[in-house]
Amino acid sequence: MQTKTLEIYSVELSGTKDIDQTDKGDGKEKYRGLKNCFEPKKNHQKEELKKELDLDDHKLSIKELEKKYGTNIITGLSSTQAAELLAQNGPNALTPPKETPEIIKFLKQMVGGFSILLWIGAILCWIAYGIQYSMNKSSSLDNAYLGCVLALVVILTGIFAYYQEAKSTNIMATFNKMIPQQALVIRDSEKKTIPAEQLVVGDIVEIKGGDRIPADIRLLSVQGCKVDNSSLTGESEPQARSSEFTHDNALETKNIGFYSTTCLEGTATGMVINTGDRTIIGQIASLASGVGNEKTPIAIEIEHFVHIVGGVAISIGILFFIIAVSLKYHVLDSIIFLIGIIVANVPEGLLATVTVTLSLTAKRMAKKNCLVKNLEAVETLGSTSVICSDKTGTLTQNRMTVAHLWFDNQIFIADTSEDHSNQVFDQSSGTWASLSKIITLCNRAEFRPGQESVPIMKRVVVGDASETALLKFSEVILGDVMEIRKRNHKVAEIPFNSTNKFQLSIHKTDDPNDKRFLLVMKGAPERILEKCSTVMVNGQEQPLDKSTAEAFHTAYMELGGLGERVLGFCHLYLPADEFPESYSFDVDTMNFPTSNLCFVGLLSMIDPPRSTVPDAVTKCRSAGIKVIMVTGDHPITAKAIAKSVGIISANSETVEDIAKRLHIAVEQVNKRDAKAVVVTGTELKDMSPEQLDELLTNYSEIVFARTSPQQKLIIVEGCQRQNAVVAVTGDGVNDSPALKKADIGIAMGIAGSDAAKNAADMVLLDDNFASIVTGVEEGRLIFDNLKKTIAYTLTKNIAELCPFLIYIIVGLPLPIGTITILFIDLGTDIIPSIALAYEKAESDIMNRKPRHKKKDRLVNQQLAIYSYLHIGLMQAVGAFVVYFTVYAQEGFKPSILADLRVEWENGNVNDLEDSYGQQWTWYQRKYLEWTGYTAFFVGIMVQQIADVLIRKTRRNSIFQQGLFRNKVIWLGIASQIIIALILSYGLGSVTALNFTMLRPQYWFVAVPYAILIWVYDEVRKLFIRLYPGSWWDKNMYY
Amino acid sequence: MRRQLRSRRAPASPYGYRYRLDDQDEANQNYLADEEEEAEEEARGMVVPDLEEEEEEEGQEEEEEEIEEEKEEEEGQGPPTGNAWWQKLQTVSEYLWDPEKRMSLARTGQSWSLILVIYFFFYASLAAVITLCMYTLFLTISPYMPTFTERVKPPGVMIRPFAHSLNFNFNVSEPDTWQHYVISLNGFLQGYNDSLQEEMNVDCPPGQYFIQDGDEDEDKKACQFKRSFLKNCSGLEDPTFGYSTGQPCILLKMNRIVGFRPELGDPVKVSCKVQRGDENDIRSINYYPESASFDLRYYPYYGKLTHVNYTSPLVAMHFTDVVKNQAVPVQCQLKGKGIINDVINDRFVGRVIFTLNIET
Repeated sequence: MQTKTLEIYSVELSGTKDIDQTDKGDGKEKYRGLKNCFEPKKNHQKEELKKELDLDDHKLSIKELEKKYGTNIITGLSSTQAAELLAQNGPNALTPPKETPEIIKFLKQMVGGFSILLWIGAILCWIAYGIQYSMNKSSSLDNAYLGCVLALVVILTGIFAYYQEAKSTNIMATFNKMIPQQALVIRDSEKKTIPAEQLVVGDIVEIKGGDRIPADIRLLSVQGCKVDNSSLTGESEPQARSSEFTHDNALETKNIGFYSTTCLEGTATGMVINTGDRTIIGQIASLASGVGNEKTPIAIEIEHFVHIVGGVAISIGILFFIIAVSLKYHVLDSIIFLIGIIVANVPEGLLATVTVTLSLTAKRMAKKNCLVKNLEAVETLGSTSVICSDKTGTLTQNRMTVAHLWFDNQIFIADTSEDHSNQVFDQSSGTWASLSKIITLCNRAEFRPGQESVPIMKRVVVGDASETALLKFSEVILGDVMEIRKRNHKVAEIPFNSTNKFQLSIHKTDDPNDKRFLLVMKGAPERILEKCSTVMVNGQEQPLDKSTAEAFHTAYMELGGLGERVLGFCHLYLPADEFPESYSFDVDTMNFPTSNLCFVGLLSMIDPPRSTVPDAVTKCRSAGIKVIMVTGDHPITAKAIAKSVGIISANSETVEDIAKRLHIAVEQVNKRDAKAVVVTGTELKDMSPEQLDELLTNYSEIVFARTSPQQKLIIVEGCQRQNAVVAVTGDGVNDSPALKKADIGIAMGIAGSDAAKNAADMVLLDDNFASIVTGVEEGRLIFDNLKKTIAYTLTKNIAELCPFLIYIIVGLPLPIGTITILFIDLGTDIIPSIALAYEKAESDIMNRKPRHKKKDRLVNQQLAIYSYLHIGLMQAVGAFVVYFTVYAQEGFKPSILADLRVEWENGNVNDLEDSYGQQWTWYQRKYLEWTGYTAFFVGIMVQQIADVLIRKTRRNSIFQQGLFRNKVIWLGIASQIIIALILSYGLGSVTALNFTMLRPQYWFVAVPYAILIWVYDEVRKLFIRLYPGSWWDKNMYY
Repeated sequence: MRRQLRSRRAPASPYGYRYRLDDQDEANQNYLADEEEEAEEEARGMVVPDLEEEEEEEGQEEEEEEIEEEKEEEEGQGPPTGNAWWQKLQTVSEYLWDPEKRMSLARTGQSWSLILVIYFFFYASLAAVITLCMYTLFLTISPYMPTFTERVKPPGVMIRPFAHSLNFNFNVSEPDTWQHYVISLNGFLQGYNDSLQEEMNVDCPPGQYFIQDGDEDEDKKACQFKRSFLKNCSGLEDPTFGYSTGQPCILLKMNRIVGFRPELGDPVKVSCKVQRGDENDIRSINYYPESASFDLRYYPYYGKLTHVNYTSPLVAMHFTDVVKNQAVPVQCQLKGKGIINDVINDRFVGRVIFTLNIET
């Protein structure tokens, strides 16, 4: 793994080495800065990147380093020097990915979506007013006023959308700033704790176990320091550090500590050699910013929808402009018609509604530990068809845990669940007593003090991963381990090292009658077995014969085959005569026996899967989502975990498995027989994109092991080539390019690095894979509900548009005014359409396939046709009936209305005759016209109530769904009615709004149509349910 | 099925090579999708085993739909981006009319006819519903009496002659500038000719309503309003209605409202004055009839359908002495109980404002 990763990095690193070998070193600093001043910014960054890549500080001696960075390892930098350097190089922090300036974001909201159409409308209004004004100075201000209203609508909805976006971004911002990092630095010969951001090159810093390394540092002195480089290289094994230069490659040498990696144990002093973006991690993170941001699926869908509606608006507008002109209308009038058509066609409130809906879901998801950074990503998870999941920390608990034990020739299973509570293996054997003693005593890990109230599994431990596992394991079973250790006083100890591959300690026993010393040892099983001559079975020591050795090997292979890390344990009671109580043990000369010991047992450990993961994986699979594991870990471990969580299902086999089962060569196996495959990074490296595509399509269960960050990117791209919507989970900096590239990047909130969180669209606050399933569910639900919202909103567009068309062609007095339309779109309709977001799923959305990116559109033909041509037309008809009723009862029967437009609108005609011979002044007619607007408005509103009810479901009957389960819908309906009442009765006297007080009976004229709509839709749904797959289903289901 | 179709089409296409490349890509891309589709279809088949029992026609239809779907899919997937526009154009034109599958807009003729039939029935029933509704609406509405009249009340006022504008600009010495007023007035007063009125209408007693009880649908009689009532403004003595002498006649009429009755004993009166400026700009106005009022006998109005010959009463204003060579804004108001003449927004309710600009 290590070499693999490093190779890939080193290709990148050394690729640019020779280019800028020329200018380097301290003296060039200023010159470089100067030169860069004259270069374009992009070049500047590139140059910078290249330069810092050739790191050779690890080769220099301490003296040379002091000279190079003008520092002193004893006294450190002076504060003034540090301040200067800080000013020169900037703070020691990764530059967050370049944010779009707020003003650009704001302007984007102003011109995005339908805004541009409305701007056109507003400008047309002003042009029309300009023309009117130039012809007649006293012309009415109506058009200028309407233009302003339209502009106001655009600006307000823009501000609203911007505010929503900003709000969700802010959540993230506060989240990021939660833990400021501190660093212990020597400056002015004093140790100071300063924020890590203020570190500069040349600072001398001290680190200890548990710290995050605050910058790239050259280690000067080291005491047993181990670091976790997993966020950089993906390798999970702790890496030892020393102050010696051990390798030409900066990444492999042991005397460099990398920014953002963690020091696990020991202490070290180091000199800061790179800060901020110039650190290795910083450079990898900047790789991520090179990866383009993909458009989210929902953004594509909304764009598609805007195109459809915009296309309809513009084509109808232009068509009727031409018709109007050819009907000998004045061009100015035609322009005004055009405006009306645009306003009627554009669902002004919809995009704001969508934003609100998305942010509601985002909030709901945040409660379930999915923090959404980018609002649109809310839905992306729902359309995800492939999840590339990291193993460590996401699928697993990210801590070593004892999984199996082998003693008395038997394998026992230990409980690996999160709380370890249920250890059921047989503990009566005498062997277990001995084994447990070794586990307890031969262990250097300790609990941090003061955690008595914390559950054992959650306590913080000082020590490496496997010792921690053993400590917790024994603490759970035996009780107070520290007390046992105290009773068995440790007299000598040899810690684990990689040459010995064992660890031993010698203890006084807690048995007062037994004066013998107990030597306990653990280590690599084969090494331990070599040192043993006897074996303990059922508490009795027996000579180690061949069959026992064989049994050992079988068990060792079996546990190893499970991907577990196996440790062997043995002990020896030192004879009291040879080793009296006063005997002084010397670990350097080893004045005690280390062979002919008694082998006691094996213990194997694994980073076990989280208990919720298998269930979550099953859910994902039943939801048609392919879960691919991409890990830097061993293929065997990866496969074992994949099997245990169900990424590789119980009955599927890899090619190798089949070969093993049939005892044939791997090459002979028909590759089509295997459903699962484990691919290593090395194999992946040799694959062409076509082969990768084939791999991804042919196997349903895939595990990628030992992969590098770049390969993660390749895998993601491969999946995207299959038209899949890819979710990637990751925590390390090395994952950030893949997170960025993915359709939705999911970073881990606890284990995740800042770079990963920055690159991601979503953060799992509990690092739990199961939260992804919740996200998928919410995402799918929101997609369905958005469909409903859009269908609801589009429906009334026809009812708003028809009046204009009929007005132009038939010449009726205008049934509904532009302002009134705006009051529907931005008033009565808003809350019901948001309420649809609260609708529960109609069926088990987790049992259906993810939507096809290109086929299952948010707004499809069926939705548009059903909304426009079915329900929309019914609504238009219903609203017209209300309109005709009002006019007829006031004296204008429909027959007289036709072609009345010119006279009706002529301000000089003040004795226009109605059907009864009554004569109307212009203002009286105008007032009647506004009553007509109000009536039409009320007609639409009443039918929209039916519309919102029918939109609750797309397939099920409303009664199946439950009429009252979604209370918000009723709130929405109430809001609709109340707003309409206020507009009519409250603001009916404000002439500018064009509302009048409507007689109460007119509110009920459209009710039969509302009922008709409901019945019609129920019938539609009934046929869809009765005849799935039929013509009706295909054409009427949206 | 799809692959067959493709291989048939590929050589026919002038861009066959490109096409095949694309198709290969597509085949890869669609691999997952196809699987899904098949799975779905299987699932459907399992859920609804009786689907096959349906009419054969339906089955055929479905097959066609499937083809369509595939077609759509191809278009949806489309050739990858960065293609030449002609390829897009080709796709579009193929979408509009695909000669090979005989499909237009991704539907076959059969599918189209089915769609049309269904929509025909849908819209026909919708039309039936609206007809029914309008019919019921008319059942509830009386043809003789509007349901509500409060919007048209209080009555508006209009003047004659009226030709697009309420500015009377004319030069006494140039008949061309006022001739059209005279023609307009003459035309308007044709219906008031004494002979006609005597023939059609009855002479009813003045000073009281002319109430005609009886069935709603009975024809109502109308009271005479003779042109001669207007005396100097009748155009009988002075055929130029005073325009030739700079003393123009302007007729004022009140808008008809069904059932409207002015206060008993207090007929609506007309009075004119200078609206803005020097009140002495108009030194005298003669009103005809001299009472300057609308007699009660012309009310109530029973509506166009039964009150066929109803003649709106008039009041003529004879501006006998108006300042010449300057625009004089005149406001004529109705006065009487139940009359409102100061609505801000409506300058024609109970009043009328016009300007006289008589040049000599």
